Amino acid sequence: MDAALPRAEAAPAPPPAFPREIPIQYGTALLVLVLVIAPLLPVLLQSLLDGALYEKHYNLTLGNFLRLARTDGFGLVLLNTAILAGLTTLVAQGVGTVAAILFGRTDLPFSRLLGELFLWPLYLSALVLSFGWYAVYGPSGYLTLLWPTEWLGDAPWNLYSLGGMAAIAGVSQAPLAYIYCLSSATLTDPTLEEAARVSGAGTGRTLWRVTLPLMKPAIAYSAVLNFTIGLELLSVPLIFGDPAGITVLTTFLFNNGVSSPRPDHGLVATAAALMLVVVCFLVWLQNRMLGNTRRFITLGGKATRPRPFRLGALRWPLFALTALYILATVVAPIGMLVLRAFTSFLSPMIPISEVLTLGNFASIFDYPVYSRAVWNSFVVSLVGGALATALIGLVAVIVHRSEFRFRGALHYLALFPRAVPGVVAGIGFFYAFALLPGLGAIRNSIWILVIAFTMRFIPTGIGAVAPMLLQVSPDLDRAARVQGADWWTTSRRIVLPLMRPALVGCFTVLFISFFKEYSTAIFLFAPGSEVIGTALLQQWVQGEVGMVAALATIQVAVIAVCVAAVRGLFGVKLHG
Amino acid sequence: MADLLIEGLTKRFGGVTAVDNVSLHVADGEFVTLLGPSGCGKSTTLAAVAGLDRADGGRIQVGDTVYFDAARGLYRPPEARSCGLVFQSYALWPHMTVADNVAFPLTLRKVPGPERKRRIEEVLALVEMERYAARYPHELSGGQQQRVALARTLVYHPAILLLDEPLSNLDAKLRDRARAWLGELRTRLRLTTIYVTHDQIEALALSDRIVVMNGGRIAQVGAPQEIYDHPADPFVADFIGTTNFLPARVLTGAPEGGKAVLELADGQRLEVRAERPATAGSRVTLAYRPEQMRIAAEGATGATDGGAVLRTRITSRAYVGGLWQVGLDLAGAPLRLETRQPPRGEELHLWLPQAGGILFRGGADAAA
Repeated sequence: MDAALPRAEAAPAPPPAFPREIPIQYGTALLVLVLVIAPLLPVLLQSLLDGALYEKHYNLTLGNFLRLARTDGFGLVLLNTAILAGLTTLVAQGVGTVAAILFGRTDLPFSRLLGELFLWPLYLSALVLSFGWYAVYGPSGYLTLLWPTEWLGDAPWNLYSLGGMAAIAGVSQAPLAYIYCLSSATLTDPTLEEAARVSGAGTGRTLWRVTLPLMKPAIAYSAVLNFTIGLELLSVPLIFGDPAGITVLTTFLFNNGVSSPRPDHGLVATAAALMLVVVCFLVWLQNRMLGNTRRFITLGGKATRPRPFRLGALRWPLFALTALYILATVVAPIGMLVLRAFTSFLSPMIPISEVLTLGNFASIFDYPVYSRAVWNSFVVSLVGGALATALIGLVAVIVHRSEFRFRGALHYLALFPRAVPGVVAGIGFFYAFALLPGLGAIRNSIWILVIAFTMRFIPTGIGAVAPMLLQVSPDLDRAARVQGADWWTTSRRIVLPLMRPALVGCFTVLFISFFKEYSTAIFLFAPGSEVIGTALLQQWVQGEVGMVAALATIQVAVIAVCVAAVRGLFGVKLHG
Repeated sequence: MADLLIEGLTKRFGGVTAVDNVSLHVADGEFVTLLGPSGCGKSTTLAAVAGLDRADGGRIQVGDTVYFDAARGLYRPPEARSCGLVFQSYALWPHMTVADNVAFPLTLRKVPGPERKRRIEEVLALVEMERYAARYPHELSGGQQQRVALARTLVYHPAILLLDEPLSNLDAKLRDRARAWLGELRTRLRLTTIYVTHDQIEALALSDRIVVMNGGRIAQVGAPQEIYDHPADPFVADFIGTTNFLPARVLTGAPEGGKAVLELADGQRLEVRAERPATAGSRVTLAYRPEQMRIAAEGATGATDGGAVLRTRITSRAYVGGLWQVGLDLAGAPLRLETRQPPRGEELHLWLPQAGGILFRGGADAAA
């Protein structure tokens, strides 16, 4: 074969004056900007006005802050908030750290299975977990009724207290501490521990002097994370705090903003702005600590699994203890909730066979409000999740794989919603849609929920997509560019197809997040646009315990199927 | 196909100047290698030609098409340049078969179906990969992936071909074979090619001309033999082939081509042919290739055989199969000698030729 290739291809076209990545990149950035700014601006503005935002005349003032400070009991509200968040963090960190060491670093029997069960509260909403706990430990809960009151006095637990609420919230957030400590433990160079043992330290001493200190950065980081979530928590204080007269910041916002017939907008917005500032600071702190965590973690590069600690004689007693914990905090509440859904009444005094029924589910489908809520939840999660995944994929590609001028700013903006509590986002979107004319049609439809949820969960989605994107070698898109593909063709034909597993993972995470979301929705839903989360709260207020259990069961079942499908089929990790 | 003109190319990363005012002309059909240690600016130069990095200054032109001109603020994005670039990592798209990988650039150019099919078959035959068209990249060996990467680049007849260390991911045996194959392909295609490598053997074996780069600048440009025999400075001498450096002082100066007498640190003297003028009293460094030195004949001393015999001390010896590698100390300078006879004793008489050694100005640390 001689000079096999014919010479000269047609000269390449001169570069177009207006490449098409310009509208795509600027359009996406603008969309994200509007999504993030939309709820924040009205809240901040309203906090500085003496009248309602939608009135014609108002003046700029700092009076709202003064008024809030003088509001009766607001100091107590702040104190309660801090105590609840603090106690929650304490419970979550304690339980999570011990679990990480026991399940991740010792030869505890069935540690993998226990670890899986331990993670379950992460997939469920704290709202559902609260109902479950109510069914077991509430005043007429199954276990409370079994308590031998005549010998031992009243049951020693009381969910309607700061301690009781912190227990529920702590259990539901312990998986976060567990995950961070576990990944820190598995990333730690095992030779550090082996060195301690070779120099004569026993199991306990090695754990205490080497393993635990190495986890410190992870513990500290997840503590701040859990404290932040504790501050933002609405469901637990709403269900157990309000009836007992314990108000925290989120329920204060809820009661004065939504439930109140004449909402004091200045006061609500100011409290929301206050919360926003505090959470912004905490998220900033998290970011700084994450930087430190990375610096602390001793990356060995090799994937050696550290040798597990031997528990010896304590192996089975510790197993019994952890199994009991998981039974008491996760399995029993969820199981009791599901059981309650299939019965007309649940009490240890009546045999279950006499009360078994499908009536609760039947009533859900008899009331159009509740069947519509289930249907809406599916539509919002499926369609909204898909739209949000498309947006997030695009944002990730622009941020990590383009020469877009403002990609750094876009990245920051896309991660900013982490600092916006769900209740604040809900209030903010409520104002935004009330203010802008011509949005009435959206305001009373499920699309306002899709928009608000998308804004809320952009960071979650980015977190699911970015690690995979960073693993795709940039040579792969460079090769396409050199061969004549512009940025958009390269993204569409090369980068996005390679990201398919990450996008599937992102969609699932968003589906689950959208499906269980309530704290934003509670400020935004209108008759006709209810979702499961809002319907649960409505039914709860009306005392329809059976239907609450049935709705919650539907939510748990759908999420369980999703989690199982994704982990089984795609091997996608849903956390970390 | 076309020639490539680079004028005053400059690229800075923060405070570091990675490419510093590099100018180069590659003729139509010429195969030029950019050679240098990592961080010398060779890959950055290649990326600037391909358009993957936007340079800070200078001009790049291929044929009549200006790719980049800092003075006029002109920059063509990579997709409008018609370069062919083979990556060190091959960068085959893992979600496409071999045939799909090769078809991609043709689809972009809207080549009609039947012609596309013909050209894919043709180019896969050229790289002897026609049997693997339906495979996925991860089902191929490193050498096969490299051929597919080359095919994917050749299929759209690029104006110039850029190769970024294409052999460095292959193991040693495979690399020799791939190099021979690449040399054969090169003579067949006569494409204007820039080849980036840090491997001097690849550079010497494949190139029409070699550009040795150091610290972002061009140290020397020339044909392979010219670079090997007449390195412009100690860096080039050291980087191409193994070189022994001997610091010395000029006792008797000489004009270009004359004979100069040098004195080593321990007082031993030798006479050499000065390729460059040598001034009496100045410090110089003398460079020899290992194959130029040999063990002196028994009993020989002083000037014999058109060379000089010098006393050296043996510091190490190692048998490397067929040859002995001997470490020597000559007046404090370490030398390395290869010989077939096993060295004996503590001392060794070394013969150095009068002509062939290269004289550089300045002390030995210039070479380090």
